[in-house]
Amino acid sequence: MTDTALAHGPVVEKRRGDGLTAAALITPATIFVALCLLAPLAILFRYSLNDFIPAKKMMVEAVTAANYVKFFTDPYYTSILLTTVRIAVLVTLVCLVVGFPLAYVVARTQSRWKHLLIISIVLPLFVGNSVRAAGWMVVFGNKGFVNASLMGFGLIDKPIEIMFTEKAVIIGIIAVNLPFMVLSLQSVIEGIDRAVEEAAFSLGAPPATMFRRVLWPLALPGILAGTILTFILAMNAYATPFLLGGPLFKMMAPLVYNQFTQQTNWPFGGAIAFILMTVTLALTVAANLIIQRRARS
Amino acid sequence: MSRSFMINRRTALGGAAALAAGAALPAHAQDNKRIVVGTWGGDYSRLLAKNIETPLLAPKGWDVVKDEANDPPRRAKMLAEKSLRRGTSDIQGLSAANMFEMNEQGVLEQIDYSKLPNAQNLIPAMKYAYGVGHIYSGKVVLYNPKLVSTPPTGFADTLDPKHGEKLGIIDIQYQYTLLAAGLASGGSMSNVEPGKERLVACKKAGARIYPSNEALAQALKTEEIALCIMWKARAVQWQNAGINIETVAPKEGVPMYVSGFGMPKNAPNKAGAYAYLDAMMEASAQEGFAVDMGYNPTVTTAKVPDDTQKRIGFTDEEKKRLVDLDYAYMAKNDSAFQDWWNKSFKG
Repeated sequence: MTDTALAHGPVVEKRRGDGLTAAALITPATIFVALCLLAPLAILFRYSLNDFIPAKKMMVEAVTAANYVKFFTDPYYTSILLTTVRIAVLVTLVCLVVGFPLAYVVARTQSRWKHLLIISIVLPLFVGNSVRAAGWMVVFGNKGFVNASLMGFGLIDKPIEIMFTEKAVIIGIIAVNLPFMVLSLQSVIEGIDRAVEEAAFSLGAPPATMFRRVLWPLALPGILAGTILTFILAMNAYATPFLLGGPLFKMMAPLVYNQFTQQTNWPFGGAIAFILMTVTLALTVAANLIIQRRARS
Repeated sequence: MSRSFMINRRTALGGAAALAAGAALPAHAQDNKRIVVGTWGGDYSRLLAKNIETPLLAPKGWDVVKDEANDPPRRAKMLAEKSLRRGTSDIQGLSAANMFEMNEQGVLEQIDYSKLPNAQNLIPAMKYAYGVGHIYSGKVVLYNPKLVSTPPTGFADTLDPKHGEKLGIIDIQYQYTLLAAGLASGGSMSNVEPGKERLVACKKAGARIYPSNEALAQALKTEEIALCIMWKARAVQWQNAGINIETVAPKEGVPMYVSGFGMPKNAPNKAGAYAYLDAMMEASAQEGFAVDMGYNPTVTTAKVPDDTQKRIGFTDEEKKRLVDLDYAYMAKNDSAFQDWWNKSFKG
């Protein structure tokens, strides 16, 4: 009797498990995403349709698109959206141009110091965004490292304004995003056989042609991943624009925070958050489609 | 027979859950000695510990836990928790203006002063129905005597375009800056409108805007700017830190800044909150704040050393110029002020 049970037990369990394993494996993650991401998003979207009474700073239940209309009809807000998109595009391009050669060198090097190179690229990610921004503040200040050095060498007599300007924000975000771009590119370039490049050279292609006709198309998946990652991070940058941009410079993420905490205007804050998310998603998908279509043609 | 004593996984888990549930009961009872205090971080929080929590509350067995953040996120949290039966904080440090606003939002408990023996010494103006004033100071003019030859006498000759980029303005203090500009241009505590044009003119002339008090202090220190408006208490702190500044109580009036504590309606430990409020009004605690932070005590029993009093306090003549805010006006127009500040002034 016992023997029979032992003999049949595992078979029965396997049969039952077959149907359930997949469901059991995806359930925790699904519940987590549903509870921690989708539910708050749904609530936030509902809030973004509510009304707000400024004099009482109170949210009133309603179903209105007024907050979205307010955003798109007020040049103050649309200019912040445009600044954010402009900076994100610029940062992404700079990261791609600066990051590609670096990623190529790291991917192709035969040096025994290769792992040190990779670690030095990843190292900045060990420090939080706000800590890094604090470091930049020391460098960029009127009596900071840059200005003190330039003045010390007698190159300038008045400090250059870097802190609390767009320049500071762009430099800060590039520094944050560059490792993401380099790592995405490096892993893909490493997978491209060196022999393919050599074949192009042996057929008489100059380096530029080899890059355009061979390396670039083959590295496209990495370029896409890197640009998408960098672009999304730049669009949603908060600590860097907040700390390095100062009171006069505005990007979308600090604006969302300001609406929620400073103005307690949750409906408008919710609307801005959704606009930021939608624009980021739309631009990412559009860029993805364009690049892929180009690659195919 | 042996089957009935078998403990399978399910029974074991059930037993563990029951044990955990049991363990939570005494833990909850212990929580009643815990006071969760929402406060600004930095000096203020450190001094609360030094002057109130360690000497007065810890010996009585109270365990104080701090929720440190600037007031906007703490206020946002209070509003978010409004519908909860049990909130997460027992007491919140807020400015008088913010306490008024939170009370308007229906978030603050009305204070039962009979539970606060030390309240009998409280200056009447610091006794709010929905909170207790802890410290106060006034908005004064700060200038660097090395860079400004003729000392300003009030807000009008400070918030003046003639100073160009030597004038510093703090972003987060838009309310008091608007009030000061209003007073300088013939407005009142209930009408800041006349001051707006003046502020825009200053900005056009190159006035610098700083994100925080600390950034402004740094600018004063490096002589990037020569004058600004600030709480007298902060000026005293900065003088102590070796920054070359003098203060002037403006002739147009000295708007008061009161910082106090209120209790959320859903505070889990109201007895603890009352204990904190009472300890906060203890003379020794108030004296400590006057010496360490440069703010004026809100109780009449606090004895501040003469030399400190001379620097932090106001003369009788100046006291006559102290003006409290029209909190209803400020709360009603705050959104509009911020809009104007962000779009028209900074934008």
